Amino acid sequence: MKYPDQFDVIIVGGGHAGTEAALASARIGAKTLLVTQSIETLGQMSCNPAIGGIGKSHLVREIDALGGAMALATDEAGIQFRTLNASKGPAVRALRAQADRSLYKAAIRRMVESQPNLSVFQDSVVDLDIAHDRVHSVRCGIGVEIQAGAVVLTTGTFLGGRIFIGKHSRSGGRAGDSASTTLAQKLRAMPFRVGRLKTGTPPRIDGNTVDYSELQEQPGDDPAPAMSFVGSVGMHPRQVPCHITHTNERTHDIIRKGLKDSPMYSGDIAGVGPRYCPSIEDKVVRFADRPQHQIFIEPEGLDTSELYPNGISTSLPFDVQVAAVKSIKGFENAFVTRAGYAIEYDFFDPRDLEPTLETRAIESLFFAGQINGTTGYEEAASQGLLAGINAARKIAGESQWYPRRHEAYLGVLIDDLTSQGTNEPYRMFTSRAEFRLRLRQDNADMRLSECGRELGVVSDERWLAFSAKREAIQDCKTALRSATALPNDPKSHALERVTGSRIERDMKLYEILKRPEVDAKAIHKSGWLSNISTNVLEQAAIDIKYEGYVARQQKEIDSVNAKERLTIPDGLDYEGIDGLSNELRQKLSENRPRTMASASRIPGITPAALSLIAIHSKRGHHQRKIA
Amino acid sequence: MNETICAVATPLGTGGIGIVRISGPDAQRIGEQVFGRCPPPRRAAFGQFLDGNGEPIDSGIALYFAAPNSFTGEDVLELQGHGGPVVLRLLCERVQELGARLARPGEFTERAFLNDRMDLAQAEAVADLISATTAQAAKASARSLTGEFSREILEIDKEVLDLRVFVEGAIDFAEEEIDFLTEESLVCRADSICTRLQELLRRTELGVSLQQGLQVVIAGAPNVGKSSLLNALLDTERAIVTEVAGTTRDTLEGTIHLDGLPVHLTDTAGMHESDDPIEQVGMNRAREAMDKADLVLWVVDDRETQGNSTLPYEHFVVRNKCDMTNRPHGIVDDRTVRTSATQGEGLDALRQCLKQIAGFQPSDDAFAGRPRHVATLQNALQSANRVVVELKQKSGEVAAEELRSVHKCLGEVVGETTTDDLLGEIFSRFCIGK
Repeated sequence: MKYPDQFDVIIVGGGHAGTEAALASARIGAKTLLVTQSIETLGQMSCNPAIGGIGKSHLVREIDALGGAMALATDEAGIQFRTLNASKGPAVRALRAQADRSLYKAAIRRMVESQPNLSVFQDSVVDLDIAHDRVHSVRCGIGVEIQAGAVVLTTGTFLGGRIFIGKHSRSGGRAGDSASTTLAQKLRAMPFRVGRLKTGTPPRIDGNTVDYSELQEQPGDDPAPAMSFVGSVGMHPRQVPCHITHTNERTHDIIRKGLKDSPMYSGDIAGVGPRYCPSIEDKVVRFADRPQHQIFIEPEGLDTSELYPNGISTSLPFDVQVAAVKSIKGFENAFVTRAGYAIEYDFFDPRDLEPTLETRAIESLFFAGQINGTTGYEEAASQGLLAGINAARKIAGESQWYPRRHEAYLGVLIDDLTSQGTNEPYRMFTSRAEFRLRLRQDNADMRLSECGRELGVVSDERWLAFSAKREAIQDCKTALRSATALPNDPKSHALERVTGSRIERDMKLYEILKRPEVDAKAIHKSGWLSNISTNVLEQAAIDIKYEGYVARQQKEIDSVNAKERLTIPDGLDYEGIDGLSNELRQKLSENRPRTMASASRIPGITPAALSLIAIHSKRGHHQRKIA
Repeated sequence: MNETICAVATPLGTGGIGIVRISGPDAQRIGEQVFGRCPPPRRAAFGQFLDGNGEPIDSGIALYFAAPNSFTGEDVLELQGHGGPVVLRLLCERVQELGARLARPGEFTERAFLNDRMDLAQAEAVADLISATTAQAAKASARSLTGEFSREILEIDKEVLDLRVFVEGAIDFAEEEIDFLTEESLVCRADSICTRLQELLRRTELGVSLQQGLQVVIAGAPNVGKSSLLNALLDTERAIVTEVAGTTRDTLEGTIHLDGLPVHLTDTAGMHESDDPIEQVGMNRAREAMDKADLVLWVVDDRETQGNSTLPYEHFVVRNKCDMTNRPHGIVDDRTVRTSATQGEGLDALRQCLKQIAGFQPSDDAFAGRPRHVATLQNALQSANRVVVELKQKSGEVAAEELRSVHKCLGEVVGETTTDDLLGEIFSRFCIGK
């Protein structure tokens, strides 16, 4: 049976990728349908209740600059905001927010429901109708077929999900949800390379049974910063602290004794877990000399006492989990409300995707989120946004878009995934971004707003706010260029007192700001430019501080851009190229780089190999032209 | 392809004409800066090639070809000057100073192909050439000093990686109760990298000068036998020798090999008071040559009583024509040797002295690097020095950027994109993750 309406874009899945994809597609103006197994779980945070963090808040701010929902929902739901790396430079500073799960979900659901051009339908998708290498419709569990010009799959861990607790295992998505096994089987029959990954969660604890006096309190920042460029402290609900405790030798003994029943050590789990998020049993085994491991206790929300003890994710048998928890300081009488578990799931090799997130094999079919081998809400949401944008543009007959490595963390994410693939759940880190000094969370709006405006995802309201801010920063820089500090000026003396930085000759404030010990606050404190707001002055000061490095990196970027323009034909036969090592041949055949830039990032590649690839690519194009 | 590349396009050595070829978007600008103007496309123009201070390096012809009508299909500038190795080296260095980088083998041809300036058959030849060069280079490096050179670089790169693991770890995992940035040991590690890089650079520079050889200028008053000395050393009849003082009005050059060390000899016009404009030009050239020389052989007639102790150059005195004084040929003291160029006497002693003065004992110490390696290692050292400063200020993200730059430079020298698994190293060393 055909669904009465046709849609431009159908989004399958209502998690962080799905909702951002649906919202972006609808913002652009495409008639969009979001199909989810459960409307109640739209925007559900199925892992720990936190948004942001190092590398991740950078993504959140980029989503925000492109008009996405995540940052604003975080401002509505955030019950603690904390700046990480506050003592380090602005490029690596990051904001982390603890979120109330139900407030977050409610915010996302409200945004989805109030978005024009967007409808939500509850059912599971069991099949895709594909003809002539193009997707035409999705088939739902109740037998309805819904036609669409483009389909975005954001099925998270639900694809072929299998949950492990000790010796017990069962099919399932996130605890409590069913797995999309039918769809997984259908997709496995399509020309995609499929892999298996795993992740885990800790047991949850009833906060009423925890002795807080034994825990170390960690409060948020005061005043709390906002996550969104258009957000404000006024949007935040009541703020609460987090807590810290540690495992001990007794905990480790209990875990070591329980290892024999662990599915990871018995070989029941084939999937690869993330190295940066090891289970507690992994930590105890691999770092046997450590007497303790940190546990970061996150509140699940304002209206619940349940806690998320981050740092003890496990798939040990339930009785071992309970014993291990009770051995921890402050948790002696803790009641475990939900068991920790490991989950194994299918992912599709992202090297089979275009950097636009459209699949290379099937036209108009897009993949976003955990299905591509990533982990984390922020990674998922940013991919969803990109896939939604491109799906909608595809329908409108407009060119595809994706940011480059020097423009956005999203660009790094997309390039890493589609050109290198991944063999563990991929998480963003700032060290993945070679142009880190220009990709800051503070300037995400400066980097992406203009682009987002052209794409049609940035509202008038956001655009006006951004334009005003950009102008203010420009004016501020002009003021800094013209304001001179004289050696005998009282303000100069004030600055010397505040920073210890000597002013021995006439100097422009612009130059003085390049000194490491001088920052925006010091300029204000010394009495300069009091007519300029602290935020604007800070932004200008950060730009000035990194100016030299940004300029130096430009050369590198130019060279990469030139290589981006040199494309490599899809079917280039690396076996037929003399002078390439076997190792390189194999890597090239697996990664199938699209451009010389992407080929140049393959580990072990040499300039000579790149020359050979360039020449053979060109020859490929030549022959095609002749044919 | 937006990098501008340059190379000496004629065989290095004693050719009469030497060409430096430049290809890429900066060719025109470089022309303006080196030549004072960039000539119109496809029109030869005569003028001087200037160094950074506006002083002439050489004079010659500049030819400019605008894209796409050039050999490579890019903007191409050719500077045709005199073939001497010193002049060509200086000119090439000047062009690099202005933003070009030295081309890899076959790179001009490769660009020609990529820009459709060549047909398929030619292109296949280029591909074969690159693949052959790679194989050859691989074989060569297994045998030569290059093997040790790469090993040393990879070892330093390992130290860089070790340090990056701490710096990046502290940045990306700030919540993990690890903050190495406050530790003094990081500054020590950075210092150690600087020291190793410095030593590597010294040995590479030594190797490069070994390959490029010693620039020796023969100078002195007219008719003391400078040209005879050059001829005797070269054992050829390159210079015109007559009894008329002032015969050599221009500089003349030749190269000899002392135990494999190339020594580039330049004969110059005699230095004396003269109103003859032609002779003055010759003497100016002689002064320029002495400016750029590693060593000046100051030749005096053995019949004269004194040498020239006030010469403002690193010099060595050759008391020539000892057949006229009947004094014994050979070493006089550590700065003087007595010869008779026409009789071929004392030449072995001179050769011996040349080797010693130069300090170029055949050495295991030197790395067989190339000039481009020196430039890249200099950049690496500069960045490594910044790492020390930034770490002292606990400015992790800038230190990290400079470390990345050191790593990148080292990768460029060994010719490999050594994208290492930085995160993998971090995870294997520290217990990270919640």
